[in-house]
Amino acid sequence: MLLLIILLVPFISGLFLFLFRKKETVRILALAAAIVNLLLTFSLVFSDFHATYSVKWMNILSTTFGLGYDGISLIMLVLTNLLFPFIILAGFNRHQKQVQLLNFLILFTQSALIGVFLAQSGFLFYIFWELTLIPVYFILLLWGGEGRKAITLKFFIYTLAGSLLLLFGIIYLFQLTAGVHTTDFSAFNQLQIPENTQIWLFWILFIAFAVKMPVFPFHTWQPSTYTNAPTQGVMILAGVMTKMGIYGALRFLLPIVPLGVNYWQNFVITLCLIGVIYASAIAFRQKNLKTLIAFSSMAHISLMAAAMFVLNTYALQGLLFQVLSHGVVIVALFYMANLIEEKAGTLDLSIMGGIKLKAPNMAILLLIVVLGSIALPLTAGFVGEFLMLTGLFEQSVWFAVAGGAAMVLSAIYMLYAYQRVMLGEVKAGFEKITDIRTLDFVILIPLIVVILGLGIYPQPVFNLLEDSITSLQHLFLPVLDLIYQH
Amino acid sequence: MVGFSQYINLAWLVPAFPLLGFLITGLANKRLKYNQAGIVASSMVALSFLMSVFLFFLLRSYGQDKATVTLFDWISVGNMKIPFALLIDHLSLTMMMIVTGVGMLIHIYSIGYMHDDERVNSFFAQMNLFTFSMLLLVMGANYLILFIGWEGVGLCSYLLIGFWFKNPSYNYSARKAFVMNRIGDLGFIIGIILLFFTFKTLTFTEVFAKASTFQTGAPVITLITILLLVGAVGKSAQIPLFTWLPDAMAGPTPVSALIHAATMVTAGIYMIARSGILYNLAPITLNIIIFLGLATAILAAIIGLKQNDIKKVLAYSTVSQLGYMFLALGLGAYSTAVFHLTTHAFFKALLFLGAGSIIHAMGGEQDIRKMGGMKSKMPVTYFTFLAATLAISGIPPFSGFFSKDLILSKAFEHNIILFVLALGGALLTCFYMFRLFYLVFYGEQRMAGINPHESPKVMTIPLIILGFLTVFGGFLNVPSLFGGSSAFSAFLQTAVIENVTEELSHSTEIILILISLLLLILVILYAHRIFIKKAFVLADDGEPMTFTGKLISNRFYLDELYAFAFEKPFGRLSDFLYKKIENTILDPAVDRIGTGTSELGDLARKLQKGNMSFYLFTMVAGILLFILFILII
Repeated sequence: MLLLIILLVPFISGLFLFLFRKKETVRILALAAAIVNLLLTFSLVFSDFHATYSVKWMNILSTTFGLGYDGISLIMLVLTNLLFPFIILAGFNRHQKQVQLLNFLILFTQSALIGVFLAQSGFLFYIFWELTLIPVYFILLLWGGEGRKAITLKFFIYTLAGSLLLLFGIIYLFQLTAGVHTTDFSAFNQLQIPENTQIWLFWILFIAFAVKMPVFPFHTWQPSTYTNAPTQGVMILAGVMTKMGIYGALRFLLPIVPLGVNYWQNFVITLCLIGVIYASAIAFRQKNLKTLIAFSSMAHISLMAAAMFVLNTYALQGLLFQVLSHGVVIVALFYMANLIEEKAGTLDLSIMGGIKLKAPNMAILLLIVVLGSIALPLTAGFVGEFLMLTGLFEQSVWFAVAGGAAMVLSAIYMLYAYQRVMLGEVKAGFEKITDIRTLDFVILIPLIVVILGLGIYPQPVFNLLEDSITSLQHLFLPVLDLIYQH
Repeated sequence: MVGFSQYINLAWLVPAFPLLGFLITGLANKRLKYNQAGIVASSMVALSFLMSVFLFFLLRSYGQDKATVTLFDWISVGNMKIPFALLIDHLSLTMMMIVTGVGMLIHIYSIGYMHDDERVNSFFAQMNLFTFSMLLLVMGANYLILFIGWEGVGLCSYLLIGFWFKNPSYNYSARKAFVMNRIGDLGFIIGIILLFFTFKTLTFTEVFAKASTFQTGAPVITLITILLLVGAVGKSAQIPLFTWLPDAMAGPTPVSALIHAATMVTAGIYMIARSGILYNLAPITLNIIIFLGLATAILAAIIGLKQNDIKKVLAYSTVSQLGYMFLALGLGAYSTAVFHLTTHAFFKALLFLGAGSIIHAMGGEQDIRKMGGMKSKMPVTYFTFLAATLAISGIPPFSGFFSKDLILSKAFEHNIILFVLALGGALLTCFYMFRLFYLVFYGEQRMAGINPHESPKVMTIPLIILGFLTVFGGFLNVPSLFGGSSAFSAFLQTAVIENVTEELSHSTEIILILISLLLLILVILYAHRIFIKKAFVLADDGEPMTFTGKLISNRFYLDELYAFAFEKPFGRLSDFLYKKIENTILDPAVDRIGTGTSELGDLARKLQKGNMSFYLFTMVAGILLFILFILII
């Protein structure tokens, strides 16, 4: 029951927002709902009992409306519910039209995302997966920046096209299940699909996730969408929605088509690592701060995608740890980019400079977030990337070198961006910039505490994940061992 | 033993004090007035120093060689167990005392030096953060804790080089330092991972215990040592990753003294000395280190001959001296390398602080062509600088003599050519240092409008203490030749396993010392003749130079070469990928699918114009095709 409550709290409170008129009341209520949900999530994490929820649903598909979780879902759930209060806070004290609708859509997205991470059947997963698109589409369309119509449409169609393949894949798996057909994950996990089928099925299932993450070369919707999305929209997209791709791939690929994964493993890892280098290299010459951050995010996500296909414990632990770390860092980065845009009136790196002289506190906070992004030890980013590199190394030294090159390249472009924005003499037109206010501290300080806290003491996350990763590995490692014996 | 374990567990206080200082000076940045930040920061480092000394005596009185203090489980995943633990042994104690002792003096000096700077509080916060990171580096009980400190000092170096952030070229230097270090760190982290898969642990004591199961020359050990070496080459500014260090002089002078002379740049030497057991198993790597060290020592000394910025001369001399330490490491004489590291920390910190005192007096001027005649105006600076110059040149009985002589004799044992080259580098060092010394302190002041005077006590007292250490520091390790017992090397013996070589006979050693001493005196006389007797004046920037002169004063065009070979191509690659691949191929390809679909729609629409006979025609044609299809199948 608790799971159903966590799923519905945001959506239902979102509906209530329409009863209120004052903008601040609406925002505070939305924030309260998100905080309540965060507390409920923590009670899940820290309690011993294992909540599940399941009712009969749609007999024709013999599918139950089943919600459940393991350590992996829990990490996703914590990330989602941790970030949404800050995403809602990011709207406070700002000029926005239709505050009720906006906050409703944000909470709607939250519910849909929670649904994705709790769903226990392929069908339910797919419904929530598609449901997330609707509110996000309107957030981007109604509150976005220049050229939002074309860009949002591209984003929508691109991801929808990927999802259609996933739907086909789910239906295909459905008719393969033994006895009364079902789309429950537990049944999918039992399937023993011939290797030839797995080899093509892998791509049917993977493309949707590859688009969402995104992985090279399915990423072209991302930079322009991130650049033009409203702040809260991009925080949702980059912070949480990209993780949907990772989560989906973990749920669908590794246990269901292990032979396909095994067959394509090195190819996909190579593709992802090309994406790492490609995005890092492109980020270096970006003039627009948000586009630069978008490419940097792509580089980090690509590394995570590569780590996923390594399949060993180090890589999987590192990957899921990085899910948290990247989510927090990227949300903080985009929020700061937005602050800079508000204060400086531009995102053009070539004309900015010297903002640190006017806003020293903002400069320090940005620096800390940047350091988290370039994986400096004692920030969360380091722990995740170190483990992922360790995992990649076990597969091939060269994978680790290519992944590690991302650490060098990220230092190059992030510090370059930091220098362009903050350092040097104050450039003309930026003399009147003011430092950050209390609200900004309220948003950024907790995020920074998470970044540093996870970097200094990451072990609780590993403990949370340990059993789930082992049982996930139990689903595919025996199959793979079998092939290697032959 | 109860007492021992209770006390040793306080070791975490050593890094904790500067961390606390960082938090105080960092968070209360705006509230601290006058010298408060400097006093807080200095006293935190002083407490840390006292704590290190306490640990030294603790180990001694309980007759212990080493102790591990585990604070908590940091990363424990699968088979990987990495505790957050500190290792207190004779090597880390030596480093701790250097870092906190010299660091304390430099902090105190900075109170005077940075007095007028508006961001003095940030300065001390960053200095304390640096001290914390450096202590973590030398105290870490495994490679990953070492790596935390390793990258942490890199960050502080970045922050402090770019401390005066209004100047874009300083910011560029800061970034260059960080990126070059990170290139080295990539090798280092890959090395750490390979180490983990080879030994299933990263804890020093466990790795070294298992190392004996490998044979000398085992390929995996060779690879590990080379990868770790890549990190050391970046951090300790050796060929080919040394060009960041001279640029790092953009930072305030106390930073150059602490980070870019006495401590951070020696991290690579510390790490290799720490891993001595592994390096002993990898003769190929040792030979690479000998080659790199010697080449760096000589190349940097040659460049030092033609530099006119007082800090740049010292920077190249640092690179050169680090080369000597590498040479010692390559010869397997790890404790000798650490000994030179120690004496170098004394005299190079003194040189930089002395240079700072001069720059302070000259109102920020760093060009030695404009100085001169400072001897009478700044007596304390003069005498301490003289002591340091004699020490770095290797004149007995100053500290540098003992350490450098030890390296030279180890080189002689190995190969006479190494000895000749190393001695040649030492002579170059002696020449450029006396060139600097004579030009700064003798003759007439060559810049008008400034009346230099001695620095305040808060700056001169650290100079005097360092001067004392510079003069007498060598007696820590008096070799048996002079009736000593090599106490310093013996102290390190428990932590550092030497690659044992035969000792030279005393007669050979005396001959070598006499030869090098004679040559050094000749060089000093030569420098005296040029710069004092003939009062040689250095050419201004605009004047024509010989080809070699041009080559040397432009640092062999290495910066230009790197820009041409790496920076520019990377920028071009970035542009190419973005403009040609992303925007011309990938992105339009997706748009093509979109427009293609709508064009297809347009086509389909043309079929449905309401022409009844066309519909009938297609229907019949369709049925016929269908029947044909069935018949064929």
